[in-house]
Amino acid sequence: MLTVFGRAFRTPDLRNKILFTLAIIAIFRLGSHVPAPGISYQAVQACQKAASGNQSLLGLANLFSGGALLQLSIFALGIMPYITSTIIVQLLTVVIPKFEQLKKEGQAGQTKMTQYTRYLTIALAILQSSTLVTAVHNNPQSLLGNAPACANIMSDGAMPTLIIMVLTLTAGTGLIMWLGEQVTEKGVGQGMSILILTSVAAQVPAQIWSIREQGWGKFFLVVAMGLVILTVVVYVENSVRRIPVQYAKRMIGRRMYGGTSTYIPLKVNMANVIPIIFASSLLSLPVMVAQFTNPQTSTNPADWAVWVYNNLARSDHPSYMIVYTLLVLFFTFFYVSITYQPDEVADGLKQSGSFIPGVRAGKATAQYINYVLTRITVGGAIYLAILALIPLIAFALVGANQNFPFGGASILILVGVGLDTVKQIDSKLQQHHYEGFLR
Amino acid sequence: MSTSTASKRGSAEGKSASGGFFAKIILFIRQVIDELRKVVRPTRDELVNYTLALIVFLALIMAFVVGLDQLIVRLISWVFGG
Repeated sequence: MLTVFGRAFRTPDLRNKILFTLAIIAIFRLGSHVPAPGISYQAVQACQKAASGNQSLLGLANLFSGGALLQLSIFALGIMPYITSTIIVQLLTVVIPKFEQLKKEGQAGQTKMTQYTRYLTIALAILQSSTLVTAVHNNPQSLLGNAPACANIMSDGAMPTLIIMVLTLTAGTGLIMWLGEQVTEKGVGQGMSILILTSVAAQVPAQIWSIREQGWGKFFLVVAMGLVILTVVVYVENSVRRIPVQYAKRMIGRRMYGGTSTYIPLKVNMANVIPIIFASSLLSLPVMVAQFTNPQTSTNPADWAVWVYNNLARSDHPSYMIVYTLLVLFFTFFYVSITYQPDEVADGLKQSGSFIPGVRAGKATAQYINYVLTRITVGGAIYLAILALIPLIAFALVGANQNFPFGGASILILVGVGLDTVKQIDSKLQQHHYEGFLR
Repeated sequence: MSTSTASKRGSAEGKSASGGFFAKIILFIRQVIDELRKVVRPTRDELVNYTLALIVFLALIMAFVVGLDQLIVRLISWVFGG
């Protein structure tokens, strides 16, 4: 097993890609630790030490930023604005005809959409960074914890400093977005996912390790649960519905070509972990908004904010689970429907002179693929929803929730993104005539 | 409508529900189960290999990131004074 990982490094092309990705990860982690201007590093450290375990409200957002949010580093916002804007732009393709047109235009339209996504990311980053900075400026203790060190985190509360902070955080978000795109382009894996993986991987080991304080039994139980989830994910991710395809025979010179049969692979879960990432990041938004609009701990928070705290801020609450499940179901169908186009597949088949046995070419083929896709995805969506719920319930039952908040989402992201990346590395290895490490 | 017009594969495929709302839902569920039965599942070997590769990969990534973090924290606290 390990020798094959070594072999991945001996392939020059692949080695460069992996090293590039690791370098990007290093830059990303470095930025997550560098404090933003106007922030006292010593105070942040002291505050974090004193207030550990008191971060449940911004927990998920903090997890996704790799701990950078509560450290108020230059990458405090993490990739969240980028994810959010990606969700919004993809939602818009369904709602606004102009966006739909852009999507159909192919490469040029795609470029335009990427551009809109970037603009929106920056806009969201400005919004989020100014709310974050104001919240920290007005009442750092409600955000970071009640320890005395947390009160004087901001060394200088003058207006110019605040503006510089907002600018820095926004620029940080822009840089993260660029890093992600670089990984997608020149590295291994999908940039956005890799960066989330990095953030989660930076937090999870410490969190799992801290469960040990509650006893070794619980610790091993959580690890075993992680392994079970991992196996289930691997199993379902490799389950494929194969639609048989027959290639037309043709003569080229004196040789007969084609006539072979292959298949179109339709994965049961085509959306991967993206619905879970979308759902959990969308769910952390109202909590963040409630937290930011509530500067004073002493004054009574607004009714809706109280409702959000009580219902959406805790992953073991029933209403959180219900909303989470519904969002996962919705995003599974949504994501599959925008990423997989049966019409295009049918067109492609027609142009290459191949067909699905027993189904007419063209529209009927598209309908048939759509028929199978919808029904397969029902299975995939239910699987994802159950998968998303099991850890939430299990961790709550075991009582590991305090030390391992959002353990469910973290494990799914680790496993899902990991599997994706491993597969990509493997397929690159196979291009170089190595046997790969998966078969 | 359960077995009346079974096709060659004995599936509910392509049938249109003439009944009411619930009949349609039941038909849809039958179709879903039908399609899921045709799914090709990974073999035991594949499953074990993928799982092991994934565990190794995740262990490596976590070790890398955590190790990196230790270094960076040391560097940062040296620069900004601890």
